Amino acid sequence: MKTIIYTCPYVPAEWIAAHGLRPSRIMPGAAGSTSSVGRTEGVCPYVRRFVNEVIMNTQASGVVVTTVCDQMRRAFDIIMRRCELPAFLMNVPSTWQSVAAHKLYLDELRRLGEFLVRLGGKSPSSRALAKVMLEYDTARTSVLATRGYLTSSQYSELIAEFNRDGKSGITTTINEKKPFTGGIPLAIIGGPLLREDFGIFDVVENSGGRIVLDAAETGERGMCAHFDRRRLRDEPLIELSNAYFGSIPDAFRRPNNQLYNWLKRELACREVRGIIFWRYIWCDIWHAELHRLKQWANLPVLDVDVSGDEQALTVRTTQRIHAFLEVLQ
Amino acid sequence: MNNAPGQITLEEWDERYEQLRRAGLREPGYGGPLGRHVGDGDRRLLKLRYDNSVASLRLWNFLLTEEDRLHNARAEGKRIVGTMKDLGTVPVMAYSLDNVVAFYPDGAWWIPCVMELSAGLLETADSLGIDESFCPVRAMLGAFVTGAHFPIPDQLVCSVGATCDDFSAIAQRLNGLGYPILWWEIPHRRFPEVDEAAVRLPGGFCAPKRQVEFVKSELERVRTALERLAGQRLDDKKLSAGIQKANEVRRYLAELRQVTFTAKVCPLPALEMLIAEMLAIHFCSDRDETISVLKELIDEVKTRVQAGRGVLGDDTARIFWVNPVADLQVMNLLEDCGGRICGTEYLFSHALDTIPEELPPAEALARMALADPMVGSSVDRAERICADIRRFGSEAVLISRIPGASHCALEGEVIGEVVRSRLEVPVLEIEVPPVTDSIRPTLGTRLEALIETVKERRKK
Ligand code: SF4
Ligand code: SF4
Repeated sequence: MKTIIYTCPYVPAEWIAAHGLRPSRIMPGAAGSTSSVGRTEGVCPYVRRFVNEVIMNTQASGVVVTTVCDQMRRAFDIIMRRCELPAFLMNVPSTWQSVAAHKLYLDELRRLGEFLVRLGGKSPSSRALAKVMLEYDTARTSVLATRGYLTSSQYSELIAEFNRDGKSGITTTINEKKPFTGGIPLAIIGGPLLREDFGIFDVVENSGGRIVLDAAETGERGMCAHFDRRRLRDEPLIELSNAYFGSIPDAFRRPNNQLYNWLKRELACREVRGIIFWRYIWCDIWHAELHRLKQWANLPVLDVDVSGDEQALTVRTTQRIHAFLEVLQ
Repeated sequence: MNNAPGQITLEEWDERYEQLRRAGLREPGYGGPLGRHVGDGDRRLLKLRYDNSVASLRLWNFLLTEEDRLHNARAEGKRIVGTMKDLGTVPVMAYSLDNVVAFYPDGAWWIPCVMELSAGLLETADSLGIDESFCPVRAMLGAFVTGAHFPIPDQLVCSVGATCDDFSAIAQRLNGLGYPILWWEIPHRRFPEVDEAAVRLPGGFCAPKRQVEFVKSELERVRTALERLAGQRLDDKKLSAGIQKANEVRRYLAELRQVTFTAKVCPLPALEMLIAEMLAIHFCSDRDETISVLKELIDEVKTRVQAGRGVLGDDTARIFWVNPVADLQVMNLLEDCGGRICGTEYLFSHALDTIPEELPPAEALARMALADPMVGSSVDRAERICADIRRFGSEAVLISRIPGASHCALEGEVIGEVVRSRLEVPVLEIEVPPVTDSIRPTLGTRLEALIETVKERRKK
């Protein structure tokens, strides 16, 4: 089956799968991080890694890039010039409160569908789409149900695995009957994690904490809402659009109060006592939220600025997390 | 009095001003000696070199008195709308209403330069978490918070979507500080799909008809907000009249650019040309006066060209400049190094193209907004640059990176590649911070190297 790669949470896996193609939301790693983008200064390390991953990928049949930030939008130009892989740039509006913005997103899904058909996909009937959506929704629900029963790193890796492999590769076994307790409850908030950054969950646990809210883009925050069963049956594409575009909170949206509403609810119900703020250097979108979050959250915030040059978490970051948790003890 | 075209210092301008005044100089109300603006804290003015014409004196005075104009407008009961991240669309709409003045808060970009970092705006932005990893437009945040550089607008309108991350993030920060903003979406301009209805845009790009329809609907939201602000209708008739006036400005600018960039001897320095082009964005808060200022500049330039006289020698290297400079002095530096500007893409070429007058006005504006070189791919922008290089006969391209700017990280590479492959002209990329004093020798060396390359190529 042909694979379509992407990294943005606003690309619905269900839509790609319903076209008979394999969606894979990739999580870039360190491999080959020096080659494709000429400049490094000023370039978001995640964007750099994504471009490299796409260019070096030999398995994919197509790539979908979105316009959620200027750097990604421009990364599309680089991808188009540096590799042969068919590429699609999807307009994901920053505004979200108008009907027109929702309609634009929906139009873009249809256009994405045409791209997928050009790559050998088959345009799905509403029924076929609804069926795929239901399968994904069931799988997603079972992933979310493991929260608290897995270590935080296992849980977030499970989400990443679900994103990468879709419903098929998922294991929903709950290793522990009793939920995990203990450790100072923390949230990680910010941009996406790189493959090698999952170590952060263990670093937190080894320092006496526990990530109870993975609000990184690659975590729970980047998952779409549960589908409404009736709407899924009646108008699946519109429901898909609502669940993704209408529900995933992110810093890039204008205004982005949806993100803060979501955080308010999740931070409170998980009794979070501290926040690890995960941002890449040169990422303006998240960087600009740091100060506001500090004032808004009324919780201690540890700013982790990731340069992306290292193979894994730096000693400095590890030590800062230790110190942060020591203060919270 | 020496009336040969030339460049003079601020001190020399003040002496010249006295002579002109004694000789019967007639000026608009905002006129006066340029030196007085230093008293407002604009210390960089002391280090610049200016064109010595009366037309340029008027241009500078017009630019440097905008804040007074805004305060006067408010005192007269006019409503002020801050059009953010919008290079020439909503201002056209706003000026179609007789009681609204549009103003461009992003222009605070230049305050750190003009005031040589003495205004503390960057420090204020720092204190709000917007540090030097953002573009100098962060000064705008400081200007809002201090309230010292412009009256706070009655309405803020900001375009988002296919815009830079810097501005989008800073505007959101501003919004979070309690300044309400009307956001309107400008989508990334894409190529029409096969069989998709397409529309040609001003400037030559193409876009799908449905994107134009979408932008039009966004601008209708803006129109409603402006009507509410003004307390009067902004019907198509008024909007069409506004477009015609905006086109008058654009035609004058097109003529000024054409005559200046193609003249054998450079008739107007780079700095004055940069400021004249900027008038297209929001008319420096007075559309009619913008037209008068431009008319006078064109007359001056034409007179000089006809007389074969100019401000620089006749063997200067003809440079195409990409992106505005955060430090205005760099425009002088280019000329010191033996270059002149023959072609520009200061991020707003679309604001220099005429808006179609034969279309319904909202549609015409939507097309114009989508023609923005920054909302499409860098390849599109590079193609437009190539077309202008051919038109103006530029011999080299200088891409001036803006520190921290999200678009500069990746676009320079693409623009450089496209220009080199299409036209085989040398391309140089430099970075220009708001005050370049400490890197002036290095910058100078790099500019000289580019200019030498151009001159070497002429010999072949
Ligand atoms: S981390 Fe920031 S700059 Fe990087 S891709 Fe995400 S939003 Fe864009
Ligand atoms: S990043 Fe570029 S486009 Fe954005 S505000 Fe700065 S200079 Fe203007």
